[in-house]
Amino acid sequence: MRAMIFKEFRELRRDRRTVAMLIVLPLVLLVGFGYAANFNVSHLKTDVVGPQAQKVAAALHQPFDVEKVAPGQGAPQARERLRDDKADVVVVTGSGKGGAGTVAYIDGSNLFAAQKATGALAGAGGQVEAKVLFNPDLKTSWIMVPALIGLILTFIGTIITSIGMVRERQSGTLEQLAVMPFKPSDVIIGKIAPYFLLAALDMIVVTVLGTLLFGVPFQGNAGVFAVGGALFLFVVLGVGVLISTVSQTQGQAIQLAMMTVMPQIIFSGMFFPLASMAAGVRWIGYLLPLTYFNMISQGIMLRGASAASLWLPLLLLTAMAVVVFSAAVLRFRRDLAPSRPSTGRATAAPPQAAEAGAR
Amino acid sequence: MSTPDAPLVEVEGATRRFGSFTAVDNVSMRVERGEIVGLLGANGAGKTTLIKMVLGLIAPTGGTLRLFGREPSRQTRRQLGYVAQGLGLYADLTVRENLAFVAEAFGRPRPSELPGPLRGTEDRLVGEIGWGLQRQLAFVAALGHGPKLLVLDEPTSGVDPLARARLWDTVHEQADSGTGVLVTTHYMQEAQQCDRLVLMSRGRQVAAGTEKDIIGPTTAVEVRTDAWARAFDALIDAGLPATLAGRHVRVADTALPRVGEALERAGLRAEVRQVPATLEERMTSIDRAA
Repeated sequence: MRAMIFKEFRELRRDRRTVAMLIVLPLVLLVGFGYAANFNVSHLKTDVVGPQAQKVAAALHQPFDVEKVAPGQGAPQARERLRDDKADVVVVTGSGKGGAGTVAYIDGSNLFAAQKATGALAGAGGQVEAKVLFNPDLKTSWIMVPALIGLILTFIGTIITSIGMVRERQSGTLEQLAVMPFKPSDVIIGKIAPYFLLAALDMIVVTVLGTLLFGVPFQGNAGVFAVGGALFLFVVLGVGVLISTVSQTQGQAIQLAMMTVMPQIIFSGMFFPLASMAAGVRWIGYLLPLTYFNMISQGIMLRGASAASLWLPLLLLTAMAVVVFSAAVLRFRRDLAPSRPSTGRATAAPPQAAEAGAR
Repeated sequence: MSTPDAPLVEVEGATRRFGSFTAVDNVSMRVERGEIVGLLGANGAGKTTLIKMVLGLIAPTGGTLRLFGREPSRQTRRQLGYVAQGLGLYADLTVRENLAFVAEAFGRPRPSELPGPLRGTEDRLVGEIGWGLQRQLAFVAALGHGPKLLVLDEPTSGVDPLARARLWDTVHEQADSGTGVLVTTHYMQEAQQCDRLVLMSRGRQVAAGTEKDIIGPTTAVEVRTDAWARAFDALIDAGLPATLAGRHVRVADTALPRVGEALERAGLRAEVRQVPATLEERMTSIDRAA
């Protein structure tokens, strides 16, 4: 038995990925759940508009953080601010005596903020009427379905793609492909396109089922949603391909993929609101693509957010897609068509211009 | 496309280093049309690395390497047929689907009929057919586009003797029709089917030429005695490279008197004579010297 235990430890010592998983994963879980797992929203971005905006704004206190006071604006602007995710709560003051007719519009797509706001307003004696927009019954399923679409795409894009690519390497068929007259781009696109299409199909199925089964609305533009989904898919597929280029076996690919998927589940704001996370870990969420896809999917499905109001997540996903996918293609290409190391070249063969272009 | 008179493969001083390890060290060789060239060597000799350099899968760190008179490229790959050690077939696709994929990749029509042993397997998954049939399928896939050069990495390992003979018939047919063949092998019987051999040891080319050239004047000592088992033990005890060939003992690369002395010391009487060395004996002695 002693020999067995020593043998196991020796093997483990050399299996760096498993050791990393044994050490890194508990740390991620500890830090994640310790600092990020917080449903408590202590600050609500609040706008106050309407004739008595100044007076009402002065009377508001925590958790309402008044960021904008605009006496000249009314209910239509309030809805716009909430739709564009500029505020969690917009208080539209009434013109009546003592602020009568004042309505607080609350963004129901931000579930925990909305719960906090309705609770705080009820505690204030009901002087202000609370109107929850975009998710009037504060249903958890309405928040989860748009986020789940991103999670499903992450699973397919990262785990399934990396496994599929590594299987090709493990079975020796990647080597066979490399000696066939394919361009590296033919192989890469040919390998990735089916996963892209399947993931896109999954996205449609989950979105349609989510709206049919759970009554989740789809308020916004399907085209913008599709663009956001495609950009996000490029990022996660790129991560999958990158993982495959540094994995020799499917087991290694799954290990690495899990290490990239797990932080996205915890830090993307899918379960725990980003605003509630400790500042020390919140920045992790802002590095993850799922965070931005969640902003897009929730924004479009629940609030009917416009492309203009989603420019930042769309731009960041585009940048991530370009960086990650290019890195993945370059690394994969290196496996298929190795370039000659620059040093030690004894005699150069005459260049073949036409051929060089074809390589 | 290719330069008509150029050798199919021309390697000059090819070297490949992985960090401080030199897998292939200054190797030169060529393969002409209709010629079968065997790469011989023990495991780790550098055969597969050299083959991968020829295929363009590994870039050399030194020397030059040309296929059909030009640098390996996507165009030269069109004229290549390759059977890898692991075969490179899709186990989850049927025999027909595998062949259709390869045919499409090379822009050729799908094969209408399969050779004898593969007939009837068209709709079976490749993972479900035997290893021998898989090897034959890999050959059919590699030859489907009429390559000018066939590269075979341990083409018959794990194959029964009959299937092996059949595969070598295919190799000879290809060579007879003008295709050049570059083949790595461990089997001496297979090496003897090659027109020329390149012997590799620890990444270096240690001999090259026909089997006759390589064996040259090298001899071995053959020991015939009824007490062959005792004779074998005695020679091994004396530190001589004795091997068994049936009920005879052979000692490679050793002078006849040394063998006689060792047997005499063991009190054995035997008929001892000098005979031409076999390719395996010559390889062993070259490898030991290297």
